[in-house]
Amino acid sequence: MGNNIFRVKNLSFSYGKHLVLNHVDLEIKEGNITTLIGANGCGKSTLFHLMTRSLNPQQGSIMLGNEKIFDMKLKTFAKKVAIVHQYNTAPDDLSVEKLVSYGRIPHQKLGKRLDPKAEEEKIRWAMEITDTWKYKEKLVSELSGGQKQRVWIALALAQDTKILFLDEPTTYLDIRYQIQILKLIKKLNREYNITIIMVLHDINQSIYYSDEIIAMKEGRIVAKGCPQTIIDTKLIKEIYGVELEQIRLEQRSFVIPV
Amino acid sequence: MKSKKRKSACFVGTILLLIGLFLVSVNIGSIKASPVELFRGIFIAYDQNVSAIFDLRFPRILIAMFGGAAIAVSGVLLQAVMKNPLADPGIIGISSGASLTAVLLTAFFPSLFFYTPLFAFIGGMVAFLLVYGLSWKEGLSPVRIILVGVAVNTMFTGIMNAINSGTGSTNSGVASIVNGNITMKTWNDFYLLAVYTILGLCVTIFLSEKCNLMALEDKTAASLGIHVNRNRILVSVVAVLLAAISTAVIGPISFLGLIVPHISRILVGSNHKVLIPYTMLLGAVVFLFADTIGRVIAQPYEISASIIMAVVGGPFFIILLKRSGKNYGK
Repeated sequence: MGNNIFRVKNLSFSYGKHLVLNHVDLEIKEGNITTLIGANGCGKSTLFHLMTRSLNPQQGSIMLGNEKIFDMKLKTFAKKVAIVHQYNTAPDDLSVEKLVSYGRIPHQKLGKRLDPKAEEEKIRWAMEITDTWKYKEKLVSELSGGQKQRVWIALALAQDTKILFLDEPTTYLDIRYQIQILKLIKKLNREYNITIIMVLHDINQSIYYSDEIIAMKEGRIVAKGCPQTIIDTKLIKEIYGVELEQIRLEQRSFVIPV
Repeated sequence: MKSKKRKSACFVGTILLLIGLFLVSVNIGSIKASPVELFRGIFIAYDQNVSAIFDLRFPRILIAMFGGAAIAVSGVLLQAVMKNPLADPGIIGISSGASLTAVLLTAFFPSLFFYTPLFAFIGGMVAFLLVYGLSWKEGLSPVRIILVGVAVNTMFTGIMNAINSGTGSTNSGVASIVNGNITMKTWNDFYLLAVYTILGLCVTIFLSEKCNLMALEDKTAASLGIHVNRNRILVSVVAVLLAAISTAVIGPISFLGLIVPHISRILVGSNHKVLIPYTMLLGAVVFLFADTIGRVIAQPYEISASIIMAVVGGPFFIILLKRSGKNYGK
């Protein structure tokens, strides 16, 4: 396994008096699929937003490689890290291809023309891998939920980064599209060596698709490591407060969420 | 996306409409001149009729065109910044903020006339910040913007009317701003408007890409390396400038900044690179049309363009409000 690509040190954050993140330390390995799990309000979204610079920390630091992310220019950060947020909107009459082409914005410089062919290649690559090239002429508003989500991932991929964050990428989707998206994420990681950091709600999907799980509760990390070894009835009980049965299937352990 | 052909047709059609309307408008009244006579009278030889038209009607017509363009574009920009198709400089109080300071200046410091645009801008900015600040609560809710805007607008309009009545309504400069009357405008008024408007509209062309990106969620735009708040401030300042300057010269006009962008979006789509220039044209056409109608509808009396806009715009606004529930029902 690779080096630590993200290092979070002593990170705290509060909304008013309510402490959401409580002195969190964390390292994320390059080349892994890392998934944040935890109950609603456990601080995983806040941690996600801090690591993606949607929020500013009140205490502590986050390092990407050797740089503090909050000292980096926003554009420089966007060249290294792409983010698919949970909720997205686009104008009704924007075409899919035009939207994905926005992913090239971080690479554009005022007064400097980029090679249009190379740019087109990158956009096409992002759209083909997400299987959205066939909709390129369509309007974003005409697509189904699953198709839209793939377009938003294509937009992030067009940024051509080695790190991809996804905030609950399967929420609002039916099971067929959930699997489609998760398989795509796995493929991006395994075939294109993109480091993935995401938030998921489904425990079994987290176990199945992640290399590493970070379990959070009340603003702290309570467990971190390989899903096969750390997830058990006791941990589930601790983070979600419910007792769930655990079964083993082909050497993998799953929980029954009923 | 609308086809290129259709967009071009819209542009050509609207330009022809504007020229036609201009020629009709020039000839409404007791003195008449054909296009040929006009051309000769202005560029070749002195003609008494043409000269009278040139001094009396041209400023008013040009003011209607430039002012209409500025207010309509201001509407587009505000709608982009607030992510709200119902934002309009008139409805949310920017125009009344601007006219209030313009009125104060005209009533109490008439010698500072040439600084009117500056003060109008300050007034517009105060109103804008009030509305923006007061309607912010974990993001901007479209409905809250309108509600706060109505309150701010009513308050400023009230103060303005109080000054107008309190000075015995004798100050024609004050009254003309309060009533949105462009009857007695001169070339000087036009120059004042033109300088700032042309400047503002030129800057606007460079803002079109920024406006396009504002349609994305803030977080998503930021993840593309875009400084969302910086862009928002820049676009807002230009929007307020355009609205304030035109208000300082022609008074507060309601609904123009709402109706014109809306029709433009239907005709040429929401890409601001096309939408903004088209809105300029259509804004000029619509406001000149309103002014021209006001001149003929109740002859020998005149109804001011702002009243025409208010009467026609009210129902239109209600239709928009009902329709937009589908897309912006948050």
